[in-house]
Amino acid sequence: MRLSSLGELLAPRRPRVEGANSSSWSTPPPDPELGVPVPFACAYDDGRASLALLNKARVTQCALSRICGVCGRGLDRPVAFVGTAVEEGRNAFHFPPLHAACAASLVAVVRQHDVPLPGQAEATDPVVVTCSGFEFVRPTAADLDRRPVFTPY
Amino acid sequence: MAISDVQEYTHLTSEEVEELGRELDAIRAGIEESRGDADAAYINRMITVQRRLAAAARVTLMAGRWKPAWLAGTTMLGVAKILENMEIGHNVMHGQWDWMNDPEIHSSTWEWDTAQPAEQWKHSHNYVHHQFTNVLGHDNDIGYGILRMAREQKWHPANLGQPVYNAALALLFQWGVALHDLDLEAIRKREKDPRVMKKQLRQIGQKVRRQIAKDYVVYPALSGPGWQATMTANATANLIRNVWSYAIIFCGHFPDGALHFTEEELEDETRAEWYLRQLLGSANFTGSRLLHVLSGSLGFQIEHHLFPDLPSNRYPEIAVKVQALCEKYDLPYTTGPLWKQYGQALRTITKLSLPNSMTSSDQPEPPTPPVSRGRLRDDQRPTRRLETGAWTRASA
Repeated sequence: MRLSSLGELLAPRRPRVEGANSSSWSTPPPDPELGVPVPFACAYDDGRASLALLNKARVTQCALSRICGVCGRGLDRPVAFVGTAVEEGRNAFHFPPLHAACAASLVAVVRQHDVPLPGQAEATDPVVVTCSGFEFVRPTAADLDRRPVFTPY
Repeated sequence: MAISDVQEYTHLTSEEVEELGRELDAIRAGIEESRGDADAAYINRMITVQRRLAAAARVTLMAGRWKPAWLAGTTMLGVAKILENMEIGHNVMHGQWDWMNDPEIHSSTWEWDTAQPAEQWKHSHNYVHHQFTNVLGHDNDIGYGILRMAREQKWHPANLGQPVYNAALALLFQWGVALHDLDLEAIRKREKDPRVMKKQLRQIGQKVRRQIAKDYVVYPALSGPGWQATMTANATANLIRNVWSYAIIFCGHFPDGALHFTEEELEDETRAEWYLRQLLGSANFTGSRLLHVLSGSLGFQIEHHLFPDLPSNRYPEIAVKVQALCEKYDLPYTTGPLWKQYGQALRTITKLSLPNSMTSSDQPEPPTPPVSRGRLRDDQRPTRRLETGAWTRASA
Protein backbone atom coordinates (compact mmCIF):
# COMPACT_ATOMS: atom_id res chain seq x y z
CA MET A 1 0.00 0.00 0.00
CA ARG A 2 1.36 3.42 -0.96
CA LEU A 3 1.73 6.08 1.72
CA SER A 4 -0.73 8.39 -0.07
CA SER A 5 -3.34 5.60 -0.15
CA LEU A 6 -2.77 4.98 3.54
CA GLY A 7 -3.30 8.66 4.22
CA GLU A 8 -6.54 8.64 2.24
CA LEU A 9 -7.72 5.59 4.12
CA LEU A 10 -7.22 7.17 7.52
CA ALA A 11 -8.18 10.75 6.62
CA PRO A 12 -11.44 11.95 8.14
CA ARG A 13 -12.56 13.04 4.69
CA ARG A 14 -12.95 9.92 2.57
CA PRO A 15 -12.50 10.11 -1.21
CA ARG A 16 -15.58 9.14 -3.19
CA VAL A 17 -15.70 5.54 -4.39
CA GLU A 18 -16.32 5.85 -8.10
CA GLY A 19 -18.26 3.17 -9.86
CA ALA A 20 -21.72 2.67 -11.19
CA ASN A 21 -25.10 2.85 -9.60
CA SER A 22 -27.96 1.03 -11.23
CA SER A 23 -28.62 4.04 -13.44
CA SER A 24 -25.21 4.13 -15.07
CA TRP A 25 -25.39 5.00 -18.69
CA SER A 26 -22.38 3.35 -20.20
CA THR A 27 -23.68 2.81 -23.74
CA PRO A 28 -26.18 5.53 -24.65
CA PRO A 29 -28.36 4.64 -27.64
CA PRO A 30 -28.26 6.95 -30.68
CA ASP A 31 -31.07 9.34 -31.55
CA PRO A 32 -32.97 7.68 -34.46
CA GLU A 33 -32.96 10.89 -36.55
CA LEU A 34 -29.78 12.69 -35.56
CA GLY A 35 -27.57 9.69 -34.84
CA VAL A 36 -26.05 11.36 -31.77
CA PRO A 37 -25.87 9.63 -28.35
CA VAL A 38 -29.01 10.29 -26.32
CA PRO A 39 -28.75 11.74 -22.78
CA PHE A 40 -29.74 9.52 -19.86
CA ALA A 41 -32.85 11.61 -19.16
CA CYS A 42 -34.04 11.25 -22.79
CA ALA A 43 -34.39 7.47 -22.83
CA TYR A 44 -36.90 4.98 -21.44
CA ASP A 45 -36.42 1.49 -20.07
CA ASP A 46 -38.57 0.14 -22.94
CA GLY A 47 -35.95 1.23 -25.50
CA ARG A 48 -37.42 4.55 -26.65
CA ALA A 49 -34.67 7.13 -26.93
CA SER A 50 -34.64 10.52 -28.60
CA LEU A 51 -33.23 13.97 -28.02
CA ALA A 52 -36.82 15.21 -28.31
CA LEU A 53 -38.01 13.21 -25.30
CA LEU A 54 -37.69 13.92 -21.58
CA ASN A 55 -38.44 10.94 -19.36
CA LYS A 56 -40.26 12.26 -16.28
CA ALA A 57 -39.28 9.24 -14.16
CA ARG A 58 -35.61 9.66 -15.01
CA VAL A 59 -35.79 13.39 -14.35
CA THR A 60 -36.98 12.57 -10.83
CA GLN A 61 -34.29 9.91 -10.51
CA CYS A 62 -31.58 12.41 -11.52
CA ALA A 63 -32.92 14.93 -9.01
CA LEU A 64 -33.03 12.61 -6.02
CA SER A 65 -30.08 10.30 -6.80
CA ARG A 66 -28.08 13.41 -7.65
CA ILE A 67 -26.86 12.04 -10.95
CA CYS A 68 -26.18 13.77 -14.26
CA GLY A 69 -28.99 13.97 -16.81
CA VAL A 70 -26.59 13.24 -19.66
CA CYS A 71 -24.19 10.53 -18.43
CA GLY A 72 -26.17 9.14 -15.46
CA ARG A 73 -23.13 9.29 -13.17
CA GLY A 74 -22.85 11.04 -9.81
CA LEU A 75 -22.89 14.83 -9.98
CA ASP A 76 -19.90 16.99 -9.18
CA ARG A 77 -19.38 20.62 -8.28
CA PRO A 78 -20.47 22.98 -9.69
CA VAL A 79 -23.87 21.66 -10.70
CA ALA A 80 -24.92 22.85 -14.16
CA PHE A 81 -28.35 23.36 -15.74
CA VAL A 82 -29.13 23.83 -19.43
CA GLY A 83 -32.30 25.61 -20.45
CA THR A 84 -33.94 28.32 -22.48
CA ALA A 85 -33.89 32.03 -21.76
CA VAL A 86 -37.47 31.73 -20.50
CA GLU A 87 -36.47 28.99 -18.05
CA GLU A 88 -33.55 31.13 -16.94
CA GLY A 89 -35.93 34.02 -16.36
CA ARG A 90 -38.28 31.86 -14.32
CA ASN A 91 -35.40 30.15 -12.50
CA ALA A 92 -37.16 26.89 -13.30
CA PHE A 93 -35.41 24.35 -15.52
CA HIS A 94 -36.95 21.18 -16.93
CA PHE A 95 -33.76 19.33 -17.86
CA PRO A 96 -32.12 17.69 -14.83
CA PRO A 97 -28.77 18.72 -13.30
CA LEU A 98 -25.56 18.05 -15.20
CA HIS A 99 -21.80 17.97 -14.99
CA ALA A 100 -20.40 21.18 -16.47
CA ALA A 101 -18.74 19.18 -19.26
CA CYS A 102 -21.94 17.26 -20.00
CA ALA A 103 -23.84 20.56 -20.15
CA ALA A 104 -21.34 21.87 -22.70
CA SER A 105 -21.66 18.74 -24.84
CA LEU A 106 -25.47 18.89 -24.74
CA VAL A 107 -25.42 22.55 -25.78
CA ALA A 108 -23.00 21.74 -28.61
CA VAL A 109 -25.25 18.97 -29.96
CA VAL A 110 -28.38 21.11 -29.79
CA ARG A 111 -26.66 24.01 -31.58
CA GLN A 112 -25.03 21.80 -34.18
CA HIS A 113 -28.33 20.23 -35.22
CA ASP A 114 -30.47 23.30 -34.54
CA VAL A 115 -32.99 21.28 -32.54
CA PRO A 116 -34.91 22.17 -29.35
CA LEU A 117 -33.50 21.18 -25.98
CA PRO A 118 -35.03 17.92 -24.73
CA GLY A 119 -38.51 18.62 -23.41
CA GLN A 120 -38.79 21.96 -25.25
CA ALA A 121 -41.11 22.69 -28.16
CA GLU A 122 -38.97 25.26 -30.01
CA ALA A 123 -35.29 25.54 -30.86
CA THR A 124 -33.79 28.52 -29.02
CA ASP A 125 -30.23 29.32 -28.09
CA PRO A 126 -29.57 27.40 -24.85
CA VAL A 127 -28.10 28.93 -21.71
CA VAL A 128 -25.99 27.21 -19.07
CA VAL A 129 -26.34 28.03 -15.41
CA THR A 130 -23.90 26.82 -12.77
CA CYS A 131 -24.75 26.63 -9.09
CA SER A 132 -23.96 24.83 -5.84
CA GLY A 133 -27.28 23.00 -5.58
CA PHE A 134 -30.93 23.03 -6.48
CA GLU A 135 -34.46 22.55 -5.25
CA PHE A 136 -36.56 19.90 -7.00
CA VAL A 137 -40.08 21.31 -7.41
CA ARG A 138 -42.93 18.89 -8.05
CA PRO A 139 -45.97 20.24 -9.93
CA THR A 140 -49.12 21.23 -8.06
CA ALA A 141 -52.65 20.34 -9.19
CA ALA A 142 -53.02 23.93 -10.37
CA ASP A 143 -50.06 23.84 -12.76
CA LEU A 144 -50.83 23.60 -16.46
CA ASP A 145 -47.39 22.13 -17.12
CA ARG A 146 -47.38 18.99 -14.96
CA ARG A 147 -43.64 18.40 -15.19
CA PRO A 148 -41.30 18.91 -12.25
CA VAL A 149 -38.76 21.72 -12.44
CA PHE A 150 -35.41 22.54 -10.87
CA THR A 151 -34.68 25.77 -9.07
CA PRO A 152 -30.91 26.34 -8.88
CA TYR A 153 -29.40 28.23 -5.93
CA MET B 1 -54.48 1.45 -1.94
CA ALA B 2 -53.47 4.56 -3.83
CA ILE B 3 -52.86 7.78 -1.96
CA SER B 4 -56.20 9.16 -3.19
CA ASP B 5 -58.00 6.24 -1.50
CA VAL B 6 -56.33 6.54 1.88
CA GLN B 7 -59.09 6.93 4.44
CA GLU B 8 -56.89 9.02 6.71
CA TYR B 9 -57.37 11.94 4.37
CA THR B 10 -60.47 11.25 2.32
CA HIS B 11 -62.36 13.71 4.56
CA LEU B 12 -60.45 16.52 2.81
CA THR B 13 -61.71 18.17 -0.38
CA SER B 14 -59.23 18.59 -3.23
CA GLU B 15 -59.08 22.32 -2.44
CA GLU B 16 -58.17 21.51 1.16
CA VAL B 17 -55.47 19.10 -0.02
CA GLU B 18 -53.98 21.79 -2.25
CA GLU B 19 -54.26 24.35 0.55
CA LEU B 20 -52.35 21.98 2.84
CA GLY B 21 -49.72 21.68 0.09
CA ARG B 22 -49.44 25.48 -0.08
CA GLU B 23 -49.03 25.69 3.69
CA LEU B 24 -46.25 23.11 3.59
CA ASP B 25 -44.63 25.05 0.71
CA ALA B 26 -44.73 28.13 2.92
CA ILE B 27 -42.95 26.28 5.73
CA ARG B 28 -40.28 25.24 3.24
CA ALA B 29 -39.90 28.76 1.88
CA GLY B 30 -39.56 30.15 5.40
CA ILE B 31 -36.65 27.82 6.17
CA GLU B 32 -34.96 28.49 2.84
CA GLU B 33 -35.15 32.24 3.39
CA SER B 34 -33.75 32.05 6.89
CA ARG B 35 -31.04 29.42 6.52
CA GLY B 36 -27.58 30.87 6.89
CA ASP B 37 -24.57 31.17 9.17
CA ALA B 38 -26.16 29.53 12.21
CA ASP B 39 -27.05 26.44 10.16
CA ALA B 40 -23.58 26.30 8.60
CA ALA B 41 -22.08 26.58 12.07
CA TYR B 42 -24.23 23.65 13.21
CA ILE B 43 -23.00 21.18 10.59
CA ASN B 44 -19.39 22.38 10.90
CA ARG B 45 -19.61 21.94 14.68
CA MET B 46 -21.12 18.48 14.25
CA ILE B 47 -18.29 17.41 11.93
CA THR B 48 -15.68 18.82 14.33
CA VAL B 49 -17.23 16.98 17.29
CA GLN B 50 -17.40 13.74 15.29
CA ARG B 51 -13.78 13.95 14.16
CA ARG B 52 -12.48 14.83 17.63
CA LEU B 53 -14.49 11.97 19.09
CA ALA B 54 -13.04 9.54 16.53
CA ALA B 55 -9.49 10.83 17.12
CA ALA B 56 -9.91 10.58 20.91
CA ALA B 57 -11.22 7.03 20.47
CA ARG B 58 -8.21 6.04 18.35
CA VAL B 59 -5.74 7.50 20.86
CA THR B 60 -7.54 5.86 23.79
CA LEU B 61 -7.53 2.51 22.01
CA MET B 62 -3.73 2.63 21.86
CA ALA B 63 -4.06 1.57 25.49
CA GLY B 64 -6.84 -0.84 24.58
CA ARG B 65 -5.30 -3.78 26.42
CA TRP B 66 -6.38 -1.99 29.61
CA LYS B 67 -10.12 -2.78 29.92
CA PRO B 68 -11.40 0.71 30.92
CA ALA B 69 -9.51 2.26 27.98
CA TRP B 70 -10.98 -0.34 25.64
CA LEU B 71 -14.47 0.39 26.91
CA ALA B 72 -14.08 4.17 26.68
CA GLY B 73 -12.41 4.01 23.25
CA THR B 74 -15.00 1.62 21.85
CA THR B 75 -17.89 3.73 23.12
CA MET B 76 -16.44 6.92 21.66
CA LEU B 77 -15.74 5.21 18.35
CA GLY B 78 -19.26 3.76 18.20
CA VAL B 79 -20.77 7.19 18.84
CA ALA B 80 -18.45 8.78 16.26
CA LYS B 81 -19.55 6.24 13.65
CA ILE B 82 -23.21 6.82 14.50
CA LEU B 83 -22.79 10.59 14.15
CA GLU B 84 -20.88 10.23 10.89
CA ASN B 85 -23.40 7.90 9.31
CA MET B 86 -26.61 9.42 10.59
CA GLU B 87 -26.52 13.12 11.43
CA ILE B 88 -23.73 13.93 9.00
CA GLY B 89 -23.41 11.47 6.09
CA HIS B 90 -27.08 10.67 5.53
CA ASN B 91 -28.11 14.31 5.66
CA VAL B 92 -25.20 15.65 3.60
CA MET B 93 -25.99 13.14 0.85
CA HIS B 94 -29.57 14.43 0.72
CA GLY B 95 -28.14 17.80 -0.31
CA GLN B 96 -29.19 19.47 2.96
CA TRP B 97 -25.98 21.52 3.02
CA ASP B 98 -25.34 22.01 -0.72
CA TRP B 99 -26.47 25.64 -0.41
CA MET B 100 -23.27 26.34 1.55
CA ASN B 101 -21.27 25.62 -1.63
CA ASP B 102 -18.65 23.93 0.54
CA PRO B 103 -16.51 21.57 -1.58
CA GLU B 104 -16.37 19.04 1.25
CA ILE B 105 -19.84 19.18 2.80
CA HIS B 106 -21.66 18.51 -0.46
CA SER B 107 -23.95 15.72 -1.66
CA SER B 108 -21.77 15.08 -4.70
CA THR B 109 -18.51 14.60 -2.82
CA TRP B 110 -19.31 13.01 0.56
CA GLU B 111 -18.27 9.38 1.06
CA TRP B 112 -19.35 7.89 4.37
CA ASP B 113 -17.86 5.46 6.91
CA THR B 114 -19.87 2.36 6.03
CA ALA B 115 -19.70 -0.45 3.50
CA GLN B 116 -22.23 0.90 1.00
CA PRO B 117 -20.79 3.30 -1.59
CA ALA B 118 -22.39 6.75 -1.30
CA GLU B 119 -23.38 6.64 -4.96
CA GLN B 120 -25.49 3.51 -4.47
CA TRP B 121 -27.03 4.93 -1.30
CA LYS B 122 -28.16 8.01 -3.19
CA HIS B 123 -29.99 5.73 -5.61
CA SER B 124 -31.49 3.20 -3.20
CA HIS B 125 -32.35 5.70 -0.47
CA ASN B 126 -32.64 9.24 -1.89
CA TYR B 127 -34.47 8.11 -5.01
CA VAL B 128 -36.12 4.71 -4.53
CA HIS B 129 -37.10 5.11 -0.87
CA HIS B 130 -37.87 8.84 -0.81
CA GLN B 131 -39.74 8.92 -4.13
CA PHE B 132 -41.72 5.70 -3.60
CA THR B 133 -42.07 5.90 0.18
CA ASN B 134 -44.00 2.90 1.50
CA VAL B 135 -45.28 1.98 -1.98
CA LEU B 136 -45.41 -1.80 -2.09
CA GLY B 137 -43.37 -3.29 -4.90
CA HIS B 138 -41.34 -0.09 -5.29
CA ASP B 139 -39.89 0.84 -1.91
CA ASN B 140 -37.24 -1.76 -1.07
CA ASP B 141 -37.01 -0.39 2.47
CA ILE B 142 -40.27 -2.24 3.25
CA GLY B 143 -38.57 -5.20 4.89
CA TYR B 144 -35.26 -4.81 3.02
CA GLY B 145 -36.20 -7.69 0.73
CA ILE B 146 -36.15 -10.23 3.56
CA LEU B 147 -38.97 -9.25 5.94
CA ARG B 148 -42.73 -9.15 5.37
CA MET B 149 -43.75 -5.78 6.82
CA ALA B 150 -47.23 -5.14 5.37
CA ARG B 151 -50.38 -7.23 5.50
CA GLU B 152 -50.82 -6.56 1.77
CA GLN B 153 -47.64 -8.57 1.09
CA LYS B 154 -48.26 -12.23 0.34
CA TRP B 155 -47.32 -14.61 3.15
CA HIS B 156 -44.79 -17.40 2.47
CA PRO B 157 -43.73 -20.20 4.85
CA ALA B 158 -40.22 -18.71 4.83
CA ASN B 159 -41.71 -15.73 6.71
CA LEU B 160 -41.95 -17.94 9.81
CA GLY B 161 -38.28 -17.23 10.36
CA GLN B 162 -38.74 -13.44 10.43
CA PRO B 163 -37.76 -12.91 14.07
CA VAL B 164 -34.46 -14.62 13.35
CA TYR B 165 -33.88 -12.75 10.06
CA ASN B 166 -34.69 -9.54 11.87
CA ALA B 167 -32.08 -10.16 14.57
CA ALA B 168 -29.52 -11.02 11.90
CA LEU B 169 -30.38 -7.86 9.96
CA ALA B 170 -29.89 -5.74 13.09
CA LEU B 171 -26.47 -7.23 13.82
CA LEU B 172 -25.29 -7.12 10.20
CA PHE B 173 -27.10 -3.93 9.19
CA GLN B 174 -24.06 -2.35 7.54
CA TRP B 175 -23.77 -5.32 5.19
CA GLY B 176 -27.50 -5.43 4.49
CA VAL B 177 -27.37 -1.77 3.52
CA ALA B 178 -24.25 -2.42 1.41
CA LEU B 179 -26.24 -4.87 -0.72
CA HIS B 180 -29.44 -2.81 -0.69
CA ASP B 181 -29.09 -1.15 -4.10
CA LEU B 182 -28.54 -4.54 -5.72
CA ASP B 183 -32.28 -5.06 -5.15
CA LEU B 184 -32.45 -8.60 -3.77
CA GLU B 185 -36.09 -8.90 -4.86
CA ALA B 186 -35.17 -8.21 -8.51
CA ILE B 187 -32.31 -10.70 -8.32
CA ARG B 188 -34.64 -13.33 -6.85
CA LYS B 189 -37.12 -12.74 -9.68
CA ARG B 190 -34.25 -12.83 -12.24
CA GLU B 191 -35.14 -9.30 -13.34
CA LYS B 192 -31.78 -7.77 -12.50
CA ASP B 193 -29.48 -6.89 -15.41
CA PRO B 194 -26.35 -9.01 -14.73
CA ARG B 195 -24.07 -6.35 -16.24
CA VAL B 196 -25.37 -3.70 -13.87
CA MET B 197 -25.12 -6.12 -10.95
CA LYS B 198 -21.51 -6.90 -11.83
CA LYS B 199 -20.61 -3.21 -11.93
CA GLN B 200 -22.38 -2.59 -8.63
CA LEU B 201 -20.66 -5.55 -6.98
CA ARG B 202 -17.30 -4.27 -8.17
CA GLN B 203 -18.03 -0.89 -6.62
CA ILE B 204 -19.23 -2.46 -3.36
CA GLY B 205 -16.12 -4.66 -3.32
CA GLN B 206 -13.88 -1.62 -3.62
CA LYS B 207 -15.63 0.11 -0.72
CA VAL B 208 -15.70 -3.04 1.43
CA ARG B 209 -11.98 -3.61 0.90
CA ARG B 210 -11.30 -0.06 2.00
CA GLN B 211 -13.49 -0.38 5.11
CA ILE B 212 -11.99 -3.72 6.13
CA ALA B 213 -8.44 -2.47 5.54
CA LYS B 214 -9.12 0.57 7.73
CA ASP B 215 -10.89 -1.13 10.61
CA TYR B 216 -9.24 -4.53 10.68
CA VAL B 217 -5.73 -4.08 9.23
CA VAL B 218 -4.32 -0.54 9.37
CA TYR B 219 -5.64 0.70 12.74
CA PRO B 220 -4.82 -2.60 14.50
CA ALA B 221 -1.35 -2.51 12.94
CA LEU B 222 -0.84 1.04 14.21
CA SER B 223 -1.76 -0.15 17.71
CA GLY B 224 1.31 -2.41 17.89
CA PRO B 225 1.05 -5.06 20.58
CA GLY B 226 -2.53 -3.97 21.34
CA TRP B 227 -3.71 -4.86 17.84
CA GLN B 228 -6.20 -7.45 19.07
CA ALA B 229 -7.89 -4.96 21.39
CA THR B 230 -8.14 -2.40 18.57
CA MET B 231 -9.58 -4.98 16.23
CA THR B 232 -12.27 -6.07 18.70
CA ALA B 233 -12.99 -2.44 19.55
CA ASN B 234 -13.53 -1.61 15.87
CA ALA B 235 -15.78 -4.64 15.42
CA THR B 236 -17.77 -3.71 18.52
CA ALA B 237 -18.11 -0.05 17.44
CA ASN B 238 -19.39 -1.22 14.06
CA LEU B 239 -21.85 -3.53 15.83
CA ILE B 240 -23.10 -0.70 18.07
CA ARG B 241 -23.61 1.50 14.98
CA ASN B 242 -25.36 -1.37 13.16
CA VAL B 243 -27.89 -2.10 15.88
CA TRP B 244 -28.57 1.58 16.61
CA SER B 245 -29.08 2.62 13.00
CA TYR B 246 -31.26 -0.45 12.36
CA ALA B 247 -33.50 0.41 15.31
CA ILE B 248 -33.82 4.07 14.31
CA ILE B 249 -34.58 3.26 10.69
CA PHE B 250 -37.21 0.67 11.61
CA CYS B 251 -38.95 3.29 13.76
CA GLY B 252 -39.40 5.50 10.69
CA HIS B 253 -42.02 3.59 8.74
CA PHE B 254 -43.16 0.50 10.64
CA PRO B 255 -44.85 1.68 13.85
CA ASP B 256 -48.68 1.49 13.87
CA GLY B 257 -50.18 4.39 11.94
CA ALA B 258 -47.54 4.53 9.18
CA LEU B 259 -49.42 3.47 6.04
CA HIS B 260 -48.46 1.47 2.96
CA PHE B 261 -49.61 2.29 -0.57
CA THR B 262 -49.93 0.69 -3.99
CA GLU B 263 -48.66 2.20 -7.21
CA GLU B 264 -51.88 3.53 -8.78
CA GLU B 265 -51.73 7.22 -9.65
CA LEU B 266 -48.09 7.50 -8.68
CA GLU B 267 -47.24 8.95 -12.09
CA ASP B 268 -49.82 11.74 -11.83
CA GLU B 269 -49.33 12.47 -8.14
CA THR B 270 -49.37 16.20 -7.37
CA ARG B 271 -46.99 17.87 -4.96
CA ALA B 272 -49.71 18.06 -2.29
CA GLU B 273 -50.51 14.33 -2.73
CA TRP B 274 -46.81 13.53 -2.54
CA TYR B 275 -46.62 15.53 0.71
CA LEU B 276 -49.59 13.56 2.05
CA ARG B 277 -48.07 10.22 1.17
CA GLN B 278 -44.85 11.19 2.96
CA LEU B 279 -46.80 12.42 5.97
CA LEU B 280 -49.03 9.36 6.25
CA GLY B 281 -46.28 6.85 5.52
CA SER B 282 -43.81 8.07 8.14
CA ALA B 283 -43.60 7.98 11.93
CA ASN B 284 -41.68 10.13 14.41
CA PHE B 285 -40.40 9.40 17.87
CA THR B 286 -40.01 11.73 20.81
CA GLY B 287 -36.92 12.30 22.93
CA SER B 288 -34.19 14.69 23.99
CA ARG B 289 -32.15 16.85 21.61
CA LEU B 290 -29.19 14.47 22.12
CA LEU B 291 -31.31 11.49 21.12
CA HIS B 292 -32.43 13.30 17.97
CA VAL B 293 -28.85 14.20 17.02
CA LEU B 294 -27.68 10.62 17.58
CA SER B 295 -30.54 9.35 15.46
CA GLY B 296 -29.60 11.62 12.55
CA SER B 297 -32.73 13.70 13.22
CA LEU B 298 -34.78 10.70 12.04
CA GLY B 299 -36.97 11.08 15.12
CA PHE B 300 -38.42 13.76 12.84
CA GLN B 301 -38.99 11.22 10.09
CA ILE B 302 -42.20 12.94 8.96
CA GLU B 303 -40.45 16.28 8.54
CA HIS B 304 -37.44 14.57 6.94
CA HIS B 305 -39.70 12.94 4.35
CA LEU B 306 -41.57 16.17 3.65
CA PHE B 307 -38.36 18.18 3.28
CA PRO B 308 -35.42 15.78 2.83
CA ASP B 309 -33.11 18.53 1.56
CA LEU B 310 -33.69 21.09 4.31
CA PRO B 311 -31.06 21.28 7.09
CA SER B 312 -31.69 18.67 9.77
CA ASN B 313 -31.11 21.14 12.63
CA ARG B 314 -34.29 22.93 11.56
CA TYR B 315 -36.55 19.86 11.83
CA PRO B 316 -37.59 20.56 15.45
CA GLU B 317 -39.10 23.95 14.53
CA ILE B 318 -40.62 22.51 11.33
CA ALA B 319 -42.19 19.70 13.40
CA VAL B 320 -44.15 22.19 15.53
CA LYS B 321 -45.68 23.71 12.39
CA VAL B 322 -46.37 20.35 10.70
CA GLN B 323 -48.06 19.01 13.82
CA ALA B 324 -50.26 22.13 13.93
CA LEU B 325 -51.22 21.57 10.28
CA CYS B 326 -52.12 17.95 11.02
CA GLU B 327 -54.43 19.10 13.80
CA LYS B 328 -55.97 21.76 11.56
CA TYR B 329 -56.67 19.28 8.75
CA ASP B 330 -57.56 16.38 11.07
CA LEU B 331 -54.68 14.25 9.81
CA PRO B 332 -52.83 11.66 11.90
CA TYR B 333 -49.35 12.63 13.10
CA THR B 334 -47.75 9.37 14.20
CA THR B 335 -45.33 9.78 17.08
CA GLY B 336 -44.41 8.28 20.45
CA PRO B 337 -41.43 7.38 22.61
CA LEU B 338 -38.61 5.46 20.90
CA TRP B 339 -39.22 2.28 22.91
CA LYS B 340 -42.90 2.28 21.97
CA GLN B 341 -42.29 2.93 18.26
CA TYR B 342 -39.65 0.22 18.04
CA GLY B 343 -41.85 -2.12 20.07
CA GLN B 344 -44.63 -1.70 17.53
CA ALA B 345 -42.25 -2.35 14.63
CA LEU B 346 -40.99 -5.48 16.40
CA ARG B 347 -44.56 -6.65 17.01
CA THR B 348 -45.37 -6.17 13.32
CA ILE B 349 -42.31 -8.20 12.31
CA THR B 350 -43.35 -10.99 14.66
CA LYS B 351 -47.06 -10.95 13.74
CA LEU B 352 -46.44 -10.85 10.02
CA SER B 353 -44.29 -13.94 10.23
CA LEU B 354 -47.71 -15.66 10.39
CA PRO B 355 -50.49 -15.63 7.77
CA ASN B 356 -53.03 -12.76 7.98
CA SER B 357 -55.77 -15.21 9.00
CA MET B 358 -53.93 -15.89 12.26
CA THR B 359 -53.35 -12.25 13.23
CA SER B 360 -55.21 -8.93 13.37
CA SER B 361 -54.26 -5.52 12.00
CA ASP B 362 -52.87 -2.94 14.43
CA GLN B 363 -53.58 0.09 12.24
CA PRO B 364 -55.56 2.76 14.11
CA GLU B 365 -59.04 3.76 12.86
CA PRO B 366 -59.03 6.63 10.32
CA PRO B 367 -60.76 9.93 11.28
CA THR B 368 -63.97 11.54 9.98
CA PRO B 369 -66.06 10.33 6.97
CA PRO B 370 -64.84 10.85 3.40
CA VAL B 371 -66.01 13.43 0.86
CA SER B 372 -65.81 13.08 -2.90
CA ARG B 373 -62.97 14.90 -4.62
CA GLY B 374 -62.01 15.63 -8.21
CA ARG B 375 -58.92 16.77 -10.05
CA LEU B 376 -58.81 20.24 -11.63
CA ARG B 377 -59.36 20.52 -15.38
CA ASP B 378 -56.57 22.08 -17.46
CA ASP B 379 -58.57 25.30 -17.94
CA GLN B 380 -58.88 25.67 -14.16
CA ARG B 381 -55.11 25.69 -13.70
CA PRO B 382 -53.06 28.90 -13.83
CA THR B 383 -49.73 29.04 -15.66
CA ARG B 384 -46.41 29.16 -13.87
CA ARG B 385 -45.06 32.41 -12.43
CA LEU B 386 -42.81 34.39 -14.71
CA GLU B 387 -40.65 36.45 -12.33
CA THR B 388 -36.96 36.58 -13.12
CA GLY B 389 -34.51 35.12 -10.63
CA ALA B 390 -30.77 35.71 -10.32
CA TRP B 391 -27.83 33.36 -9.65
CA THR B 392 -24.36 32.59 -10.89
CA ARG B 393 -24.58 31.95 -14.56
CA ALA B 394 -22.59 31.63 -17.74
CA SER B 395 -24.22 32.15 -21.10
CA ALA B 396 -23.25 29.24 -23.27
